[in-house]
Amino acid sequence: VLHTTRALHTAQQRLAPLPPLPEKGGEVRYGLIPEEFFQFLYPKTGVTGPYMLGTGLLLYFLSKEIYVINHETVAAACILSVIIYGIKKYGSDVAAFADKLNEEKVAKALSVKNEAIKDLETAIEQEKKEQWRVEGCKYLFDSKRNNVAMLLETNYRERLLTVYNEVKKRLDYQVAMQNLKRQKEQDHMIQWVERNVAQSITPQQQKESIAKCILDLKALSKTAQAAV
Amino acid sequence: MNLSFFDQFTSPYLLGIPLILLSVLFPTLLFPTPNNRWVTNRLSTLQLWLLNLITKQLMIPLSKKGHKWALILTSLMILLLTINLLGLLPYTFTPTTQLSMNMALAFPLWLATLLTGLRNQPTTSLGHLLPEGTPTPLIPALIMIETASLLIRPLALGVRLTANLTAGHLLIQLIST
Repeated sequence: VLHTTRALHTAQQRLAPLPPLPEKGGEVRYGLIPEEFFQFLYPKTGVTGPYMLGTGLLLYFLSKEIYVINHETVAAACILSVIIYGIKKYGSDVAAFADKLNEEKVAKALSVKNEAIKDLETAIEQEKKEQWRVEGCKYLFDSKRNNVAMLLETNYRERLLTVYNEVKKRLDYQVAMQNLKRQKEQDHMIQWVERNVAQSITPQQQKESIAKCILDLKALSKTAQAAV
Repeated sequence: MNLSFFDQFTSPYLLGIPLILLSVLFPTLLFPTPNNRWVTNRLSTLQLWLLNLITKQLMIPLSKKGHKWALILTSLMILLLTINLLGLLPYTFTPTTQLSMNMALAFPLWLATLLTGLRNQPTTSLGHLLPEGTPTPLIPALIMIETASLLIRPLALGVRLTANLTAGHLLIQLIST
């Protein structure tokens, strides 16, 4: 049952949107009698009208013994005073408790909404971060590419060096062979020439050359004596 | 009128019109039906809170199937609570002091539990007639005793409530003089 309002059956009843609950309940005087009663009697009897009515009714009931004062009257008075005292003392606390129940209900729903919003916001931030990371990936890929290129270059150069060294070794070998061959030929020729010259020196020539050397030495020794 | 001590227990009549129905239905006026709003006024909130509390306390020990009894038990509890508490005020009539009303409540409910038990789990409900761990010679006597107690139960329930309330109200009257 939805409590909609329409001004005393004059307008159409609208079920949605539901009209909000009024902020305060109906005005009540002395906790029992609604204010509308006082307003109803005000034009005819003024301010004191309802009070006179109440007093008159009470005295009428008492005097005509329509209401008899018996032991239950005292009980009624005591119970009434206790009830009023209890309401005055704990009324606001009970009202605050009821309000707190409602507040908790609303707060729980609101917290669900707020947490959902927060979760979505964090998701958005993380998504933005991921996008930023993707942008940065370009640099990462470039650097990786450079790295790989460098490695390839280094490897190529190393292999080039190896090739060069190998080729040089082969060529050095060839050169060394040639050098060795020439050396051997030279040595062999020198030996042959020396052998032949040594063979060709006759003893006569030997004696003549030795004598000549001795004459030269004597001549030199004469000029060189002063230098000592 | 000179009120004797027992006048509060007479069924109320106004000009020959029995008011008993009114006095039974009056407590329902004090509990407004909760409407479909989510956030209600203070009275509805408090009432719903109280109902939730009572139903939770009643239904937590029960299994899921036992929750079928939640509605009738909770509403019965609230009704009896309100009727009995309102009877403490002066010039009020407590319907539960009448044996007729209490028997009308006790008999159907007791019969309902008995028949439900017999229909759904006949062996277990008949097995309740014999408490566990009785010595063998006592079994026939005990079965008869248990059957007698089972059959007396609605009378016991009804009379118990009536006697308690009547005695209570009477005692209050006696002490207050």
